[in-house]
Amino acid sequence: MPVTKKTGVNSETGIPGPAYNQGPDVWDKVTGKAVYGIDLQLPGMLYGKVLRSPHSHARVIRIDTAGAFAVPGVRAVLTASAIKNKPYGIVVEDEQPLAGDRVRYIGDEVAAVAAVDEESAGKALEAIKVDYEPLPAVYDPAEALGEDAVQLHEQYSGNIAWERDLERGDPEQAFKEADLVVENSFSIPSVHPTYLEPIACVASSDYMDNLTIHTALQSPDVVREIISAALELPLSKVRIIGPVMGGGFGGRVYGNLKLYLLSSLLSLQTGAPVKMQLSREEEFSVGRPMIAAQIKMRMALRKDGTFLAREADIITDNGAYSAQAPWVSKTLSERNDALYRIPHIRTRARLAYTNKVPTAQYRAYGNQAANFASESLIDQAAEKLQIDPLQLRLKNCTRAGDVTGHGLQIKSCALAECLEEAATRIGWHNRKKNRGYGISAGIHASGSLVLNQDFRGASARAVLELDGKVTVFTGEQDYGQGTYGAFSHIAAMVLGLDARQVRIYCRDTLVTPHSQGALANRQTTIGGRAVQLAAEDLKKLIEEAASEMAGQPVKMQEGRLETASNRDLKLEEVARYYHYRTSGLTLNGEGRYVPPPSAYDETGYGNISVTYSFAAHAAEVEVDRNTGALTVHRIAAVHDSGRIVNPHAARGQVFGGMTQGLGFCCYEGYLFDKGRVANASLADYRVPTAMDVPGMEYSFVETEDPEGPFGAKGLGEVVQVPVPGAIANAVADAAGSRVTELPLTAERIYRAISGGECER
Amino acid sequence: MSYMVAASLEQALKILHEKGGNVQVIAGGTDLYLKKPLPDLVDVSSVPEILGICRDEGMLSIGAGVTHTEAAASAVIQSEAEALAEACRRVGSPQVRNMGTIGGNLVNAAPAADAAVALVALGAKALLVNHAGSSREAFVEDLYAGYNCSYVDGSSEILLRFLVEPCGQGMGSAFMRFAPREALSLPLVNSAAFVRLRENIIEEVRVVIAPVKPAPTRLVETEKLVLGCKPGEDIWRKVEYTAASEVEVRGSLLRCSEEYRYHLVGVLARRALKKAVERALNRQRR
Ligand SMILES: Cc1cc2nc3c(=O)[nH]c(=O)nc-3n(C[C@H](O)[C@H](O)[C@H](O)COP(=O)(O)OP(=O)(O)OC[C@H]3O[C@@H](n4cnc5c(N)ncnc54)[C@H](O)[C@@H]3O)c2cc1C
Repeated sequence: MPVTKKTGVNSETGIPGPAYNQGPDVWDKVTGKAVYGIDLQLPGMLYGKVLRSPHSHARVIRIDTAGAFAVPGVRAVLTASAIKNKPYGIVVEDEQPLAGDRVRYIGDEVAAVAAVDEESAGKALEAIKVDYEPLPAVYDPAEALGEDAVQLHEQYSGNIAWERDLERGDPEQAFKEADLVVENSFSIPSVHPTYLEPIACVASSDYMDNLTIHTALQSPDVVREIISAALELPLSKVRIIGPVMGGGFGGRVYGNLKLYLLSSLLSLQTGAPVKMQLSREEEFSVGRPMIAAQIKMRMALRKDGTFLAREADIITDNGAYSAQAPWVSKTLSERNDALYRIPHIRTRARLAYTNKVPTAQYRAYGNQAANFASESLIDQAAEKLQIDPLQLRLKNCTRAGDVTGHGLQIKSCALAECLEEAATRIGWHNRKKNRGYGISAGIHASGSLVLNQDFRGASARAVLELDGKVTVFTGEQDYGQGTYGAFSHIAAMVLGLDARQVRIYCRDTLVTPHSQGALANRQTTIGGRAVQLAAEDLKKLIEEAASEMAGQPVKMQEGRLETASNRDLKLEEVARYYHYRTSGLTLNGEGRYVPPPSAYDETGYGNISVTYSFAAHAAEVEVDRNTGALTVHRIAAVHDSGRIVNPHAARGQVFGGMTQGLGFCCYEGYLFDKGRVANASLADYRVPTAMDVPGMEYSFVETEDPEGPFGAKGLGEVVQVPVPGAIANAVADAAGSRVTELPLTAERIYRAISGGECER
Repeated sequence: MSYMVAASLEQALKILHEKGGNVQVIAGGTDLYLKKPLPDLVDVSSVPEILGICRDEGMLSIGAGVTHTEAAASAVIQSEAEALAEACRRVGSPQVRNMGTIGGNLVNAAPAADAAVALVALGAKALLVNHAGSSREAFVEDLYAGYNCSYVDGSSEILLRFLVEPCGQGMGSAFMRFAPREALSLPLVNSAAFVRLRENIIEEVRVVIAPVKPAPTRLVETEKLVLGCKPGEDIWRKVEYTAASEVEVRGSLLRCSEEYRYHLVGVLARRALKKAVERALNRQRR
């Protein structure tokens, strides 16, 4: 049983090793010096723009580009017939760089132009004539799965992009034996990651077709492979260099492949660098939001509150093309099952094509959507059984040593402690009048192994520079979550240096070690472990070189090199000694962390991740019964993310993730007018403002995880998971009735209270 | 293209006169810069005549160039024109409130301009002077010409000040606002009310609601209903019903349903009126 230790809100100490380091680009960001994708300029650069379909579904009869070529300053005009237009995709290959004979949503890319400035590119688009023959369209995913529904892709019949039918144990029998069965249907809209910087890229190429794409990505190495395959360019000819990333939240894992492919094609055609970027409106209407979900869920319980079984029928809305939506659907439909001990499970999940904006992935991978459904249902059961919702959760929650229904191996877990602590912090046992209280739990994979079974881990290099400082080369990504700060901290801890002595070199596929990227909470757990090992290797190499130089054994301790005869050597002396002796090499530590393989069977049963993070959140809210207006007063978050390596960065993750969870639960969500995104602007797609953020408090219950570096586990995604459940349950407590549709708007809450009517 | 900062009223009027309508007054710029302003602008935000809050022959005189932040923080407005302080506190966001002015709010003439809604309920008058130097006075209520359109012409006329009767004995005002977010969100409904009581009887009342028409709208039937009444629990349900019945609102995908908006009109009108009455009663007791 792992040791647990509590860290309070103000605990910045208790961490061994040197002082905290903010990471390399914090000051640049604060002073406005950081260079983002949208800032990039290259000599001779052209501007690319895309002509988009105005129809939800139509046949493309004819495209006439003659007018566009005639616009002064235009250098290239591309249509599907002018390029190879090879199908590509992330899970299923259902996309092409440009739509061929058919468009499938409002915004589908029909043609691309490059011109000397944006204005000329815009004019060129206006000069392209396209004849469409509109086709009937389908917008509702359940309808799309119906028998006579309009079909989007011939190769995916029934509009099913992905599906899964899963059974563990004997759910049918369990439901028969249950004392109580509760059920409900929940609806969760698409949400956009709403990173601050809209996606932008500059593609440049030379006469040998060496392609360099400047864009900020969470997984540049994976994108590089997709681009190389889609453009049929040898992999060695494709390089991705990342400027500073203006936020990602999962939306930049593979970013906007369309944009990278089109700017590359335009650059290869013209030989000039081509810049393309999405406007904020395009981010919403053609960017890649997370799938919407309709979840029908049933739960079987014993009288004493023991969970027996759960059954879910889930339809997720893929939009017109798929990207990572199958993976998101899978996590959405499965991960939450591991949060409690549920022996019998049945899940049916279907991902349906509709004529709407294509989707991709977002922080927490839909796990937060499932949380809203399942945690709401648990409270429904608690009410029926007259059991305190906290006690019901404590009775059933997953604990260390468990192997869950889907085969996840829980090596460290302080979920029960998190639940109790969150309840105490919110005043669960000491409630204020006229307030509602809700609690909810969350689990998330920390260091997913299943992205690529053959490439599960990470590697890093740590180099001793001639001035005695250390540079860590990493392929992992920092988009504000503090990865690089954590990495310099980890390397510094190993070498006994100050974290400021460790520089991070990153974001260049030619130079930095290849990586699966910043997703699935890999960064600290897997990437950080590689950095630790690289630093350990470097330490060994330094000691060897120093011993050789001194002619006697040298040990490196707390950053100092001391010979057996008590003489101090300087790091730069050793660095230079080695450098001269090898005629130019530097001491180069290598670290590779290869997690144990994950064996899972064809039903997906098995351990899918290095380890798992847990959390419990509790909320205190107030509801105005006359209008439904909701005030979230406080949220208390208690997390088990193993050992907290960097308390500052961890705090930032918790506050940011809770705020985003609040947005997901109470404010955000796509609104569609048929196939058109009706709220494609920051004025109408409402994220919470600073004025909307409630009182937030947090603490960590630190477990010693056997796998993560220094026992650390991921935090960035799990922090969003419990928020919707906690708030929704608090609202139900305050309102006396439950809203099953997100976001929890005042109108929905009011209708729940008034029984659907709006009294007048 | 020019940007002129007028140091005095005289200078500002001179520029307006010389440019003969081809120039536009700018104060905080929070509305103007979202539209297409004329190429030549006169910044009036440092003209002394449009600044500050003072008393003038028993009236509160509030400069058109007073920002929302200043108005919301003013002790005088907080205690003697509560509705205005409450309205200004809810405009836009802290940044917008630091720049945006009350005068600009009225002249921009948005249907649910928060400060304008409060000023109409308070029965405020506006003091204006034109490029030729002649001044006029008009009720704020009469200055809306249409949707986003004002009778104040910022290319030939300067709005100087607002005159508001301070709430004394038996008087009270209040402002209510309902929006989906705490900042950067236009109201689904806002409402302001003013009452004057004599011996617990309502002898003067104004209840304003927006956005239901191009301009902040007086709830005439609701006012009639309560005028001469002694406000008690029995009246508030009727207020709610009457208020919702005498306006026409629409629903929208982006905001809320029509039904719900009718409901909000009733609730907010009642709340504004009730709060104004409570304040008036408090002042009577003192
Ligand atoms: C993000 C954002 C959110 C907002 N939210 C709200 C809100 O919630 N509620 C709300 O009511 N408003 C809101 N506004 C609108 C705006 O902030 C207010 O209307 C503000 O009070 C306008 O004042 P200003 O000084 O900035 O006007 P300006 O933009 O300077 O001018 C507006 C108009 O008034 C004229 N004008 C200004 N001063 C004078 C004068 N003294 N004499 C003659 N003409 C004059 C100008 O010529 C122009 O036509 C918002 C604006 C933004 C940008």
